[in-house]
Amino acid sequence: MGKHRTQGLKRGFRSGSLALLAGLLAVSLCIMPLASAEAKDIKVGIIDCYSGPPAVYAEDALNGFKLALEEINKEGVLGGKITWTNRDTKFKVDIALNMAKELVMREGVDLLVGTINSGAAMAVSTAVSQKNKVPFFVWISKSDRITGEKGHRYVFQTGENSAMAGKSGAVALSKKPYVKYWIGGDDYEYGHSIADAAWRNLKAMKPEVEMIGKSWWKPGEPDLAPYITSIMSAKPDCVIFCTGGRSMTNVMKAIKATGMAEKFPIWVHTGTDHAVLKPLGTDAPEGVMGTMDFHFYYPDTPEHNAFVDKFKKAYGEPPGFPAFHGYITGHFIAEAYKKAGTNDIEKFIDAIEGLTIDSPVGPLEMRACDHQVKLPMYLGVTKMSEEYGVAISSEIQTLSGDDILPTCEEIQKARGK
Amino acid sequence: MDLGQSITLSALGVHFLVGLSRAMILFIVTSGLSFVLGVLRVPNVAHGSLYMIGAFAAFSLNQLFGGGTAGFWVALALSPFVVAGVALVAERTLFCHLYQREHLMLLLFTFALMLILGDLVKIIWGADYRSITAPSALEGAVPILGSSFPKYNLFLLIVGPLVAVGLWLFTNRTKIGKIAKAAAVDREMVDAMGINVSWVFAFAFVLGCFLAGLGGALVAPTISITLGMDHDIIIEAFLIVTIGGLGNMWGALIGSLIFGVTQSLGVLFWPQFAIVFPYLAVVIVLIWRPTGMLKSVW
Repeated sequence: MGKHRTQGLKRGFRSGSLALLAGLLAVSLCIMPLASAEAKDIKVGIIDCYSGPPAVYAEDALNGFKLALEEINKEGVLGGKITWTNRDTKFKVDIALNMAKELVMREGVDLLVGTINSGAAMAVSTAVSQKNKVPFFVWISKSDRITGEKGHRYVFQTGENSAMAGKSGAVALSKKPYVKYWIGGDDYEYGHSIADAAWRNLKAMKPEVEMIGKSWWKPGEPDLAPYITSIMSAKPDCVIFCTGGRSMTNVMKAIKATGMAEKFPIWVHTGTDHAVLKPLGTDAPEGVMGTMDFHFYYPDTPEHNAFVDKFKKAYGEPPGFPAFHGYITGHFIAEAYKKAGTNDIEKFIDAIEGLTIDSPVGPLEMRACDHQVKLPMYLGVTKMSEEYGVAISSEIQTLSGDDILPTCEEIQKARGK
Repeated sequence: MDLGQSITLSALGVHFLVGLSRAMILFIVTSGLSFVLGVLRVPNVAHGSLYMIGAFAAFSLNQLFGGGTAGFWVALALSPFVVAGVALVAERTLFCHLYQREHLMLLLFTFALMLILGDLVKIIWGADYRSITAPSALEGAVPILGSSFPKYNLFLLIVGPLVAVGLWLFTNRTKIGKIAKAAAVDREMVDAMGINVSWVFAFAFVLGCFLAGLGGALVAPTISITLGMDHDIIIEAFLIVTIGGLGNMWGALIGSLIFGVTQSLGVLFWPQFAIVFPYLAVVIVLIWRPTGMLKSVW
């Protein structure tokens, strides 16, 4: 008895709910085109190293990105907002891969962004981004293989890379009268790739240059005095240092302690970076040539100053180069979606190829052939600044992105096409 | 290959001096490690962390006392004591319960301590690069043998022998030094003499760590003070202790000289592969004398 009644009830409930569902379906069908254009947020998954020494850079990049999103989300993109979620890679390639997969599979992010670790960036680029057709924006790591040799349709680089760094040094040095060069640097991929790019381009621009010696030390080598004194005793016309991370401070200190800068012209990529010069304080050597793709104090334009002021107000410190990369990454993403007019990933990529956005340093283009942002590079000389109490870059000359990027033909060749 | 090019007698001399000055830092750090190893039989992997703390403490003290010349000397004088304080706490709360354990256990324990101290440094000082300035008298370079030689390295060449002599006087001329030396040879016997070995050990440990702190403070003006300094030094320090003879103070000196000078001369002769030279020297020494240059106390 009771059984039958409940069955009857169930049936009644079922047919009732069916009607309700049908009604809902009908209503939703009617409003669907409207709803999908309105409510879909764009979700960005960020993988970066938020622990250990690299965390300083990762946080800076994230802050720049957040600042861009604040501006973008005021009016929204395609009716929705850009949201983000981040994961700590702990500077490990395997963790980065797992996190990237998790973000794509489980979180269902539309785009991936990261990271400071070149190895992690390369792995995520091929194993996650290319495989799952999820665009991946690399914003700090500087390996030129990301958009060079190993580049593909779904990977983008919004920071400078080592090929640009090396070539900018070559462009700067080719205009100088020096012939005999010595190259010294950190014995790891970054050091070697800057050295190779600098020397290859310099030799092409000025065939009479001659390399009289090379020194390679382990990254972070605490005692550079023997290396510096041996270079000085060889009396080159100019010295190129290819160092990164904590070796930057070490090499600048050794240059100062040995008085090398007073006797030899020296070029150190990122030697004019505020992150390098600030901890040195009055210990910074003056007269060292450096190249950098961002200074918070240059160029002195309203757009640039507005960005720096806004960043300072939000985070208490002036932006570093990662913050700048994070900021333009946000705007490239937003502008590309606006141009595409849809959430479709393939159309998004078509839209971003060759896209030019306004940035704090002027218009920036995402080059279509390799997905590398055409960033200008600032060549300057270290000089103590009374205003900041530390050394800054002075006598700045701007090298345009076109001058320092590898050509599209070179990229095609590197990719074996 | 430009082997042999531009090597003059003066370059050789300057490189020898630069190597010696690096050897002095290495000696100060490894003599502490060797002392702890000899007296306590503890292979202290966390020794490098104490060296790092010494450098960070020097940075903070230097700032506290307004930087410049005064700040530097105060930092140099006090930061080894900061490290000694940390060591004393670690010894009384942790190490003193573990001396009887196997070496493998101690190795694991001190390794864990290294990770913990590394994270503590990150919590206290953050991940930024730090730097302190040498006093103006020690800044810049002086011409020696036609090349310029950093004044600070000259200063290290003076400090190193002073520390060596001080250590020698301490272990041979003071009572506690002699007891520590005796405990290194036969701790049961020292115990049987009615001496409180526990405090002798504490003292030996603190002294060893004091030297690590001194090394860190001395090296601070020449490098960027940052996380990871501990890993850099500890591998070199253990290699030096091994080639010198485990627990032998003079072995630490000889090992440091071999390490520092081969590295410096390697840079002169073959700069591309300079990294290899000190390790090559280690291999040669160990093939030639598997227990190290001097008598090992183990």
